[in-house]
Amino acid sequence: MDFSYSEEQLEVRALARQILGDQTGNERQQQIDAQEIRFDEKLWQDLADAGLLGVALDSERGGMGFNFETLALLLEEVGRTVAAVPVIPALVTAALPLQRFGSEAQKHACLPGLANGKHLITAALIEPGNEDPARPYTGATAAGAGWVLSGSKHCVPYAQQAEQCLITAQAEDELLVFLLPLSSPGLTLKEQASTAGEPQYQLDLESVALGESVLIARGEQALELVQWMQQLTRAAIAAMATGLCDAMLRMTAEYTSQREQFGVPVATFQAVGHRAADCYIDIECLRLVSQEAVSLLSLGLDAEQATTIAKIWTGDVCHRVSQASQHLHGGTGVDRDYPLFRYCLMARQLELSVGSSARLLEQLGTDIAVSFTSSGLETID
Amino acid sequence: MYIEYTENQKALRLRVREYMRERMTPALLEEKKNPDFFEGGGPEFRKQFAQMGKDGWISMSWPSELGGQDASALEQYIFTDEVMRSTFPYPFLTTEAIGPVLAEYANDEIREAVVKGILQGETVIAIGYSEPAAGTDLASLKTRAVRDGEDWVINGQKMWTSLANFADYIWLAARTDPDADKKHKGLTMFLVPTDIAGYSCNPVWTLGTRTNATFYEDVRLPDKYRVGEVNKGWQLITGQLNRERLSLVNHGMIEALYTETAGWAAATMDRDERPLLEQGWIQHNLARAKVGLEALRLMCLKQAWAIDQDQLGMAEASVAKVYGTEFFVEIYRLLLEVLGQAGTLKQDSQGAILKGKLEHRYRVGSILTFGGGANEVQRDIISAAGLSMPRGR
Ligand SMILES: Cc1cc2nc3c(=O)[nH]c(=O)nc-3n(C[C@H](O)[C@H](O)[C@H](O)COP(=O)(O)OP(=O)(O)OC[C@H]3O[C@@H](n4cnc5c(N)ncnc54)[C@H](O)[C@@H]3O)c2cc1C
Repeated sequence: MDFSYSEEQLEVRALARQILGDQTGNERQQQIDAQEIRFDEKLWQDLADAGLLGVALDSERGGMGFNFETLALLLEEVGRTVAAVPVIPALVTAALPLQRFGSEAQKHACLPGLANGKHLITAALIEPGNEDPARPYTGATAAGAGWVLSGSKHCVPYAQQAEQCLITAQAEDELLVFLLPLSSPGLTLKEQASTAGEPQYQLDLESVALGESVLIARGEQALELVQWMQQLTRAAIAAMATGLCDAMLRMTAEYTSQREQFGVPVATFQAVGHRAADCYIDIECLRLVSQEAVSLLSLGLDAEQATTIAKIWTGDVCHRVSQASQHLHGGTGVDRDYPLFRYCLMARQLELSVGSSARLLEQLGTDIAVSFTSSGLETID
Repeated sequence: MYIEYTENQKALRLRVREYMRERMTPALLEEKKNPDFFEGGGPEFRKQFAQMGKDGWISMSWPSELGGQDASALEQYIFTDEVMRSTFPYPFLTTEAIGPVLAEYANDEIREAVVKGILQGETVIAIGYSEPAAGTDLASLKTRAVRDGEDWVINGQKMWTSLANFADYIWLAARTDPDADKKHKGLTMFLVPTDIAGYSCNPVWTLGTRTNATFYEDVRLPDKYRVGEVNKGWQLITGQLNRERLSLVNHGMIEALYTETAGWAAATMDRDERPLLEQGWIQHNLARAKVGLEALRLMCLKQAWAIDQDQLGMAEASVAKVYGTEFFVEIYRLLLEVLGQAGTLKQDSQGAILKGKLEHRYRVGSILTFGGGANEVQRDIISAAGLSMPRGR
């Protein structure tokens, strides 16, 4: 039993904290908000220069060769600072499946560039009207040695800025996962405006021809990839949410300790203290389930249930901590001159991404039913 | 980070589980149906508890200098969790909280007799803190102890003195200096034998269990029964409350109820001859139970781990107390809903489900949110210690 992080991991976290802390002040964030595309490219490059974008990439690809758990520490710090950088879509959802399932050529084409900040990749998980990437509407028909893809993906983060995008498509009798070049003829991007301001796009494919060289996985392996990709992304979101919620709550504790009404700091009202304490408890739960999910994935153990549970807590805690933080701030909490609003918007974004609490509760319930029906007794942990 | 038991710890868990199954004899199950003996005290309980003493389980978590086996907090947690899961009415407060304090602070003669009795599973001690007018504000207690030669003369009333109906001693907090500048400064701890003249005990029937009111009328107690220094009782009380919190919240007992409920729903058919477990709303309740249980499991493990690392923060202990006790209340409801109206049938009733365990658990469950330090006070601690928020008053 060990709940601690290694020296190395703590160093990575300290480095991330320093770089992100220095560059995410309210003024800087306001500049980024004012940009047409809400992407802090300088910060992204600084993270790359410090080696942090390659934290979980193999050393032969220019990475540091650490595990997913170490990367999750970076994600938590990005959450803490709501930095406008594509850590989850690029470093988790796209890069890790590519690193595990991709061909040498595919990895070579993307990963070193990702690590040094020059080459961005992303992933498309959902489609209009369909949040299950293992059962896409997007279809692939065989054509010679390759395929022709038609369909739409949406809410694809940073698709305009990235070079390639991991996508799934349904062939006649199997699932396919591609490393789709975003410059492919027949592909168009339409900008979408999402609540937290993350650059997102609808990606329309009209008879896009793809060759064998960009196929990452097919059949059983494609299903395995998609399942793992979702698990990783859910755990990553939970880790980011932990930092995000923790920062929101600390901002709230500080604000209410200074803000006076009726001649006393509002924090001294027991009802205020207790609402904050409830958030503290919530965040402790979120931290624990997120650490478990991340740890299991890092160790290569079965993480399906743990990542589902972590994402359910993420949805619930993001909602509750965000609403409590706004409420306890009064008007200041919704003022766009004060930094809290960015956290609240991101909280909603994380809450609803890659499975809401309601949907995942249903999925978990189904899994529980199966485990009790098949064995009569669930195996004891 | 590696959130898993070692092989040795897993083996310990199985060993305790197997061992406790043997302690839960049919005779004990029958005896527990008598509300006077639900929390122990009957002859079969005495027999099995003494067996645990003989087999060395009681001293497991004690430090070796006090005659114990130096088990880690994690091992102690495994033991506690499995004992709770078994529903054996183990007197945790006697063995884990008061026993080690006596071993450290009691007078030689008393230590020799009482500590040995505890470790042999022969002695049970009830806690006499609360009074009719002193609950959460424990330091305001009024029971008086006045020095008279070699003795103390004790007068007062305690309320909610659980286990007093069969305990051998009351671990009593009394006021010895009514003029101290702060009310928690004038308190002293005593061990009162329950067969002493002037002591009496009346039952108090609660929603879930029997507890007692205990009365002290000119109880003349030799000074050797005083524990620790005069007017220094508060440190012993609070030191003990922290240990108490550890055995208050754990995972095994409700995990077992969850598993039994899901197993029941899998094996029980609905009107259309399909397992109840296929119903969406049942799956939903079980999923919510599981989500909360998993957080509780991790929280308990992390606490035990943090104690072993000497890293348990004030706020974290309170987080576990509040989350755990409120989740107990929540999960009883989630599981009772699965059982439906038949969930209201009591243990020996015709048609009772899972032996009426949940019907009983929910009635006992409500005391945990205000007992062991009211959750409001725990939340005060969390906002002050965890978030540096200033306190009112
Ligand atoms: C079944 C049972 C067994 C028990 N066993 C024992 C035992 O063996 N030995 C023993 O000594 N005691 C025992 N107790 C007593 C128990 O410890 C007390 O009930 C507990 O300390 C609360 O005290 P109280 O009941 O007087 O409630 P009060 O102190 O009157 O509190 C009532 C409510 O007021 C609110 N409140 C109190 N203080 C605050 C505050 N600071 N801020 C905000 N809200 C507050 C809380 O909501 C609290 O629940 C037992 C009680 C029960 C019911």
